[in-house]
This record gives sequence, C-alpha cells and structure tokens, in this order.
Amino acid sequence: MKLVGIVGSNAEVSYNRMLLNYMSKEFKSLVEIEVLEIADIPLFNQSKDETMSAPIQKLNQKILAADGVIIATPEHNRTIPAALKSVLEWLSFNIHPLEDKPVMIVGASYYDQGSSRAQLDLRQILDAPGVNAMVLPGNEFLLGKVKEAFDDKGNLKDNQTKKFLASTLIKFIQFVTLVNKLDEADKPKAEPEDLHATGKIATTIEDVDMSAGDWVEQAAEKVGAVEGDTYVKLNRGILTVDQINYFLSSMPMELTYADSNNQFLYYNHVSEADEMFASRTPDQVGNPLANCHPEAALKGVEWVIQELRTGATDCVRVNVPTHGPDKFVVHNYQAIHDNDGNYAGINEYILDFKPIVDWYLKQTGQTLVGDVNAVSSASKKDEADAVSSASVKG
Amino acid sequence: MKKMIGIVGTNSDNSTNRELLKFMARHFKDVAEIEVVEIKEIPLFNKPESKEVPPLIKELAQKIEASDGVIISTPEYDHAVPASLMNALNWLSYHIYPFVDKPVMITGASYGTLGSSRAQQHLRQTLDSPELKARIMPSSEFLLSHSLQAFDDEGNLKDQIQIKKLEGLFSDFVLFSEMVKTFNQTHLLNKKEAENFSWENL
Repeated sequence: MKLVGIVGSNAEVSYNRMLLNYMSKEFKSLVEIEVLEIADIPLFNQSKDETMSAPIQKLNQKILAADGVIIATPEHNRTIPAALKSVLEWLSFNIHPLEDKPVMIVGASYYDQGSSRAQLDLRQILDAPGVNAMVLPGNEFLLGKVKEAFDDKGNLKDNQTKKFLASTLIKFIQFVTLVNKLDEADKPKAEPEDLHATGKIATTIEDVDMSAGDWVEQAAEKVGAVEGDTYVKLNRGILTVDQINYFLSSMPMELTYADSNNQFLYYNHVSEADEMFASRTPDQVGNPLANCHPEAALKGVEWVIQELRTGATDCVRVNVPTHGPDKFVVHNYQAIHDNDGNYAGINEYILDFKPIVDWYLKQTGQTLVGDVNAVSSASKKDEADAVSSASVKG
Repeated sequence: MKKMIGIVGTNSDNSTNRELLKFMARHFKDVAEIEVVEIKEIPLFNKPESKEVPPLIKELAQKIEASDGVIISTPEYDHAVPASLMNALNWLSYHIYPFVDKPVMITGASYGTLGSSRAQQHLRQTLDSPELKARIMPSSEFLLSHSLQAFDDEGNLKDQIQIKKLEGLFSDFVLFSEMVKTFNQTHLLNKKEAENFSWENL
C-alpha cells in the first residue's frame, strides 16, 4: 500500500512536516508514506488557471497514484492555512484527484488544541462536492504542545502518543482497503491492452510493416531519421546521434523502449541474444509487443503495462532467479511520461544488482545477515514466470 | 459620515461579490463612504522568518485601522472562505493587528442557492480568532443567492426585498459600529493581547 502525506503548511519550519516525516519513518514496515510539500504551489486564482503547471500536476499524479492521503494541518486564524486551502482549491477546480480518495487528517499545534478547529474545517472542506474525498471518520489525531513532543532525532517522545498514532494509522489502512474495494465495484475495468499495436499514436510510423525484419531501416527512411554525426538537441544538452548511441550502449544494463501503443521501438544492442539477460534480436525492433512474447506470457505483459499506464505504480520490479546464485538479475519496468505527465511507454532496464550490492557491502564493511538463499528467492517462482517471460525469446 | 472599507473576498477577475460591494458603495453613499479594496495582488503567506510584512499589506492594514468598520464580501469555495481571502487575513494578523475590535459586517454572494452561507460561518469563526479579534456584527447574514441574475445592467440589485433587507442590515451596522466604540473598555488590553499573542510562545 502506498500513501502520500501532504504537509499542510508552506512555512520553512513546520512541526506538521516533522510529524509526517516521523510517521513515514516509524511505520515504514506497515505502509509506504511519501511526504509531499505544497510550498511551490501558487495561490489559487480562478482567473489564472495554472492547473497544468508542473508543481500542481506532480501533486495531482502522486495523489491519483496513491492508495490514500494523509494531510497534516496546522491552525491559522482558527482554520487551515491559506496555503493548504489554496492547494485544495486547485485540486477541485479542473482536476479532482481527491475524489473518492481515502484521507486521514492529523495536525500539530504549539498549544494544547492540536489544530482541532482547523481539522474540523478541513473535514468540511474535503466533503465539498468538488473535492469529494472519503475522510476517515472519527480517529482525530491532535498533537498539542508540539515543541516538546519530539526528541532530537524527530521521534515522538511519548509512548502513549506513539501507540495511539499507530492504532489510528492501522485503522486508516483498513479504511483504505475498504474504500478501494467499494471503488473497484464502480470502476470500469481497465481497457484490455492492445498488445498487437493495431492503434496509432502521434509518433507511430505508418505504412511500414511492424513485423518486417528491417523495420528500423524502412521506418528511418520513411521519416528521414538523422544518424551519424548529426546533432540532436536534448534536455539538457546537445549530442550527435553517434554519441547518443555510445552513451546508451555504455549503460551497464539492458535498455528497451516500448511506446504507449505497445510497439517495441528500441533496445541498446550491445550483445547477441544468447548473451543477454533477456534475449533481443535486431529484427524484433518495430514489432508489436505481442510478437516478442510467447502467448503464455501475454497476460503478465498486459498486467505490467496496465499498472504503469494507470499510474498504480511507476515501476514494476521482478527478480529472475534463473541466472544462477552468483547473480541477482532484476527486470525493471519503469513508466515513461511526457512533459505533461501522460503515459508514454515503458523503459525496461535489466541488470544484475549483485556486483552493486557486493561493492556496497565492501565499502561499508557490512555483511549480509541471514540466509542468502532466502534473499535470492525474494520473488516467488510463479510470479517471476508470469512477468519475467515478458522478455523471454518467443 | 462613516468611513467604511469593503473587502472583495476573492482574487478572481469576475466576482459578483465585487459587484455587491460596489452597489453598496453607491447605494449607501449618503450614509457612509465605502471604499472597495482588492486582495488580488497579495502574495501567498508563508510565515516569513523575517517577520516582514509587504508594503501592500501594511497599506491595507492602515486603511482598515483608520476606518469605522469593514464589510467583507465572501464567495464560497469548497464549503469555505476562498484561499485568497484566508491568505489576506493570515497576513493581516501577522505582527499587525488592524482587526482588533474593528466592527465587521459579513456579506456574500453565490451563483447557486446558498449565498455562501458556509463560507460566511467559516469567516465568522476566523475573524473571532485570537490573532484577529474582530467585532463581528451579531445575528446578521446577507446571503445573495443566484448572484449572476441578481443585478441589472447598471449593477444595481433588482430585487426590492433584498435591497430593503440590505438597507436594514447596513443601518444596523452603522449603529453597531458606533456601539462597539462604547464597549471597548478592553480595547487597549485586547490590542496588547493580540500583539503579544503568539502560538509559538503559549
């Protein structure tokens, strides 16, 4: 389960930030909490729509992808700070990421109140039609006298408070599970993936047979693709096509790009297929993903793409243990997004982590504790099969 | 002649709350001088460590200080006061205290039926906070619903019953602002309390 914690203040010093950071650290075995800031979000103004600006879109995407949200609010003038209200206004204007999202409210204050009035207002605001969040009923967490509440390491000092916070968080986790079950019933099932890439996106090169062995050459000619020592302007830099190739070839991993239309567009061709962790051949490039995988693997491929396309996760990781005990090969399926945050395909990078881990252990003088075998089989065999065969030779 | 400040409770370019205050300024010009002021240009409050208040806010604070009363007209965003108005109030209680014991009348307009009723309640609560300590006119609500249809081409309220109600409330407010002066025995103390008030040092 993945939660985001929103710091409800744009102040440089905020005990509410400290509270969220503490929760994220203290309860990490229970749930993943990513702490998000609102300081770079402009004041809401309906005459000056900045919904598409990077800071608002970032917050939007993070909330959409999270299973639930924790908001920590201070109290200003007996209510929530203007900065937090402003964020909620942006998030209920043209976009509505909090709709049906489970939300837990916490708050810290200098005095006894623990932001009690601000929390009540926040409940009322989150219940407004444009926001429509699912706020955890009851279970207020009011942290008063906050200056004395934390020790030097940012941990809560009082054990009772700690326990109470943990029990509240556990209730919230149950609430999230419940709400998301309710939602599932309403939600239309994700569209099936078009693994045969019969669709078309803006960058699809048309009228070239996707399954042609020389698709790259044909497609390159069709669009007049540059090559060799021609310069290409990138973010941020200028390289020649040759330099880009050298650069990508030098990556200590196998890289593959499939676009949002599920067409296999690129891999850094360094080795022959039988020397690779996941075999690829030059003539496969251009193929629809369905053509590069055995029939049995397609369900797994579809699942991975849907996870990335819907934003359920940004990266699916699978350990493939079949390379032997001296390697820890991981297939990473990383979502690619365009500048507006839209799904733009998969960056699959495959590498052996073992040398990195070994180096880390050597540098820090640490040793692995426990059974090495237990670690290498971290992902179950059946699960690995479903997904790892996403890149087994077809 | 009373000198009043009317605060447009939004930074939006188009606002029927602005229209309402402008109408009041014209309609009541024989009773009071109402200066309509904007909060559009006020930067986002972030509790600066420097404790420095921008000149714009200081100027607004001085106007409020010098006035006999303040009318705030608030829209309703998400069941509450707009962030831009909350923002102005955050600034106007940060090491400056123009609202302490200041008579305040709350009005509000909305496109729908409710006339910003929840935002007005929220604003009352905010103005009653220890940092603001305003004297809010009791038991008084002016809720202008369906505000897009409420004005004629000259910007005057069309509905005579609404105008009567507003006239009644406003003459009450003029009286109230006078009365508040008489029950200001604790004014100096209140001012001092607000100035010394700091959540950090409680």
